[in-house]
Amino acid sequence: MAKIDLSNISHSYNPNDPNPVFALNPFSMTWENGNRYAILGPSGCGKTTMLNIVSGLVRPSAGRILFDDKDVTDLKTEDRNIAQVFQFPVIYNTMTVYENLAFPLKCRDFSKSKTDERVNSVAETLNLKSFLNSPARKLTADQKQLISLGRGLVREDVAAVLMDEPLTVIDPDLKFRLRRNLKEINEQYKTTLVYVTHDQNEAMTFADNIIVMSEGEVVQTGSPKELFERPNTTFVGYFIGSPAMNLFESEPSSNDSVKINNTLIKTNSNLSKLKTKNIKLGIRSEFIKIAKNQNENLVEVNVQKVEDLGNYKLITAKMGSLTIKSKVTRETEIPNQNVKLHIPAEKCCVYEDNKLI
Amino acid sequence: MNKLYIFLKYFFIVVWTVFVVAPFLWALTTSFKDFQSVNGGVTYIPWLDFEPNLEGWKVLIKSPAKGGVDIIEPYFNSLFVTCTASLISIILGTLSAYALSRYTFKAGFVKNNDITFFFISQRIMPPIVLSIPFFLFLSSINLLDSLTGLIVVYIVLLMPIAVWIMVDFFNKVPREIDETALIDGCNPYQAFLKVVLPNSIPGLIVAGMFCIIFGWIDFFFAFILTFTEVQLLPVKIVALNSSVTPWWSLSASALVSVAPLIIVAFIVERYLSKGNLSGAIK
Repeated sequence: MAKIDLSNISHSYNPNDPNPVFALNPFSMTWENGNRYAILGPSGCGKTTMLNIVSGLVRPSAGRILFDDKDVTDLKTEDRNIAQVFQFPVIYNTMTVYENLAFPLKCRDFSKSKTDERVNSVAETLNLKSFLNSPARKLTADQKQLISLGRGLVREDVAAVLMDEPLTVIDPDLKFRLRRNLKEINEQYKTTLVYVTHDQNEAMTFADNIIVMSEGEVVQTGSPKELFERPNTTFVGYFIGSPAMNLFESEPSSNDSVKINNTLIKTNSNLSKLKTKNIKLGIRSEFIKIAKNQNENLVEVNVQKVEDLGNYKLITAKMGSLTIKSKVTRETEIPNQNVKLHIPAEKCCVYEDNKLI
Repeated sequence: MNKLYIFLKYFFIVVWTVFVVAPFLWALTTSFKDFQSVNGGVTYIPWLDFEPNLEGWKVLIKSPAKGGVDIIEPYFNSLFVTCTASLISIILGTLSAYALSRYTFKAGFVKNNDITFFFISQRIMPPIVLSIPFFLFLSSINLLDSLTGLIVVYIVLLMPIAVWIMVDFFNKVPREIDETALIDGCNPYQAFLKVVLPNSIPGLIVAGMFCIIFGWIDFFFAFILTFTEVQLLPVKIVALNSSVTPWWSLSASALVSVAPLIIVAFIVERYLSKGNLSGAIK
């Protein structure tokens, strides 16, 4: 268990080229001991590169990695004491489940009794106890993935368990159980867990801290709530949440309000220092409700479509050429045609050049 | 439709079996015939069609002084040369194949694939092209007409096969297995020996089988590079031929020489059908 510091890390797969392409742009970050982190981003944004840098499979082009303030940048993978679980379960086919779980301890010359104790305890947690003596290749995909995970957990002192989309091959209902399992393991063993995924639901339900990445850049780090309510960039607003955040081209009209389609919207942001004209107003569809007795921040829209999505209704409406989406409770009565929607000022996010003000 | 399919399936299996097995049966009966039974028209069944005798087999173990050829020593020479050369080729070939599959090599425009192709290209040339260089090479280090010399040459011939098969095999063993082993605390050598190699047993067996077959059946180099001191089985069998073709002893020697390969084939078949690799990942 360790605190992991990534300081000024960047990576390019062709560093000697005159115009190197960066898979990871320079960034710094600290992963506190015992927390659950999720790295979230679309495919090819550098998530896996980041994990491989931490585990030592990839050496960063620049920057330092510190485990508990000790520089490990030049340390080989086998000396870093990291556990990594890949997208597809990797097991040692020729060994039994027990031998698989004991392998990391065997490599580190643990005594027989200590190995026995650790393997049994981990097998207990992962419900693998009854399979210990069967050949690992005979197990189902999700059990194999548990073995991969178990090999990370048998070492009590492991610095962190890194998981690279570990639940991709797992059935949906098992996914849910495994995710809960992971949380329990984190609470029981106090291991730092880092979880790479492109699925926002997975990230939101699993982690207490989410790192959102896009095109090799860390765009935002924060709790699920922060990411949801105050996305740092329009990308985060768009990428997180379903449906995506409503984003409207707008023009500033005073220090705290903007105009969209000639409708004045008051916000809580300070707009006095705007430099460009590229201004967008972002608001989550969850916060837009049908107006009752409010008298400002109202927009008049034309309802196009109402979808009943089980526990809520999704209204798609037009305001001139702009599309606006609003999530309301099932019980809400929705008029057929024109309706006034209320946009709460405190939930408005204003973006200048796609960055939050 | 289904019945027709089953009928055709069994029909072709039977045809193929007859095609494969018939020559062996033919050789087997011929090996027990004498001059008259071979030349007196087609006969099939011993005791009914012809009177079996063991002359053809006896020739193989009789000493030359008594009119035999004595294939026992060449037989063990062949076994020794083939097994030693195959073993060394597999060890060297597997190590090079692993390196070619996992690490990147670059020397100017020469990259991993070119190096792999270089190995295979050794087998593209007709053997006759290699005969003179090999002859001169062995004579310069005084290894002509010796078992060691033959082993050296066979390693050169067999290693490309091992490299070729194992590169392909290692490419199919997911890299994540090595990486996981490193993460679990192995050094790269342990990762190779404890994790990758046990997973590659089917590949090793296939490569071993090809090396043994190509080593065992080689006549050309055994003929050119040996004279009197050392003889290998294929050369000795050819020496059986004389003005009157001794079909009985040729058949017997053919059966004896193919026997080890049949044993190898049975062992290999058992291992291959186990399919050890399926499920390594996924």
